[in-house]
Amino acid sequence: MTSKTTWFQRKRTRELALVVCFLLPSLAIFFLYRILPLGWNAWLSVHAWSPLKAAQFIGLEHYEEMLLDDDVFWQALANTLIFIACSPLAIAAALGIALLVNSDLRGAAVYRTIVFLSYPLMTVAVGIIWRWLYDERGGFFNYVLRSTGVIDQPMKFLQSFDWALPCVILADFWQVLGFYMIILLTGLQSIPQHLYEAARVDGVPARARFFRITLPLLKPSIFLCIVVGILNSFTSFDLVYVMTNGGPGHATELLITYIYKAGFGQTRFDYAAALTVVQFLLLVVLTVIANKLSGGNAGSLERQ
Amino acid sequence: MRRAPGSPRHWPRHAIMIAVSFLMLIPFYWVIKTSLTGENIYAWPPRILPVDPHLFNYVDVWYLIPFGRYLLNSTIVTAMAIAGSLLFNVAAGYALTKHFPGRRWIVVLLLSCMLIPFQATIIPAYLITSWLGVLDTWLGVALPLLSTIICIFIFKASFEAVPPSLIDAARVDGLSEWRIVTRILLPLSKSAIATNVILTFIWSWNSFLWPLITIRSPEMQTLPLGLARFLSVMEDTTGALFAFVVLVLIPGLAIFLMAQKEFIRGLTSGATKG
Repeated sequence: MTSKTTWFQRKRTRELALVVCFLLPSLAIFFLYRILPLGWNAWLSVHAWSPLKAAQFIGLEHYEEMLLDDDVFWQALANTLIFIACSPLAIAAALGIALLVNSDLRGAAVYRTIVFLSYPLMTVAVGIIWRWLYDERGGFFNYVLRSTGVIDQPMKFLQSFDWALPCVILADFWQVLGFYMIILLTGLQSIPQHLYEAARVDGVPARARFFRITLPLLKPSIFLCIVVGILNSFTSFDLVYVMTNGGPGHATELLITYIYKAGFGQTRFDYAAALTVVQFLLLVVLTVIANKLSGGNAGSLERQ
Repeated sequence: MRRAPGSPRHWPRHAIMIAVSFLMLIPFYWVIKTSLTGENIYAWPPRILPVDPHLFNYVDVWYLIPFGRYLLNSTIVTAMAIAGSLLFNVAAGYALTKHFPGRRWIVVLLLSCMLIPFQATIIPAYLITSWLGVLDTWLGVALPLLSTIICIFIFKASFEAVPPSLIDAARVDGLSEWRIVTRILLPLSKSAIATNVILTFIWSWNSFLWPLITIRSPEMQTLPLGLARFLSVMEDTTGALFAFVVLVLIPGLAIFLMAQKEFIRGLTSGATKG
């Protein structure tokens, strides 16, 4: 009996040692690149610090500067919010496409592949492609608009204060549309088919079937799309950097590009950290709001 | 709602989808056309079909920039990220199939880590990498990608689907834990491996902001940095830029088209978990 217990205990210890060894590398990476940075950002944001200077606690001075004196911050915040606010347009378009290709349409797989094709591309390359599409001489848009007589003079889309931001957003739509479509397709395919059959037997018209069955059951997928849209305002750094670098002026400046410029352009790591904290809080707040609006069942997919 | 394929009500849907596909493909066409154009790319009006198409621009890329060097750097960084993430994700995924105290907390920790976008960590991540002394190295660029939470959970699910009797039988035969993983579990998890390889490839190959921060010397630059540098030096004055773009896009597109199913599966499971 005693020997059996020790054998069992030894087995437990060995298993625990194995678990620790196997988990440690991954946990170390997540600690270094996710958890520690989060705390470090918060710490930096309330200190005056630069690589050559000892840290000094200054309380909320960075936040004061940001909110009261920094016009670029407000512009970047507004642009980021516009960027996010436009994503429902792309989600609606993706929903339309998903409904079309989620049927017994012949060749639906080909359409799906084509719509999704732009998503896995390198965003820097996408930025260069779209820069060129908007070019005043060699670009596609000027060619079409001028040859159809809509405009007489070549249009400098990306140099225009009014057009630069919509143009960048359109390029972003092109890349992310396929991803929205895939998420929505996955959601559509998880709706039990018998609901539609029952509704049809009861004589429910197609429009009501969409609003009463499809849309409510698609809520978790739509929520996911919205979260992707919010995160997109972070990941669009590459696109903005290549297409306009925030210009003209700060017309296409996003928070993430401004953080990069403050941190690595002006070496104001502490101020950039404060900007990051604000951006992260924005992300959390918007996600919580989106979750509330979608009925608070965002976790339902997670549990599957 | 369901109609026989080819029934008359299908053609409006085909018409819409053909129009959408056409719009989605225009940017691809425009960049390929420009990269093949021999004449001045600024000639007005731009031609729809390339006049006198040839591959001169594709040769030019190799002379105008150290394309081979960029390709080498990108390849090494991506290979390191794939090898490291496979090893660490498999190990962590296997560990999570075991029952041990604190397992719940680790799962919760990992799930909440997933909500932190990497872009929100760049300032401290840069300082940490500098402190580790791996700024401006391949390892420094690959390091944050060496383990990915989504793929850990994909492996965990895949391992849990293997019948426990199979694992017990192997244990009775005296196989060590690591052997059980490599000989029994991994051969049964091919699609999880494919998903891990593809996702890590795409993330590492396309990654721009992180190398932009960590890489200083020109000879360490990866392909996306090379593209941005080429753009800032030459502007878009030469067709070679667009040949460069096409060359850079080919590997990602090829992998996506070959393994579309695994790719989409990985992305959707990542999205639903995150």
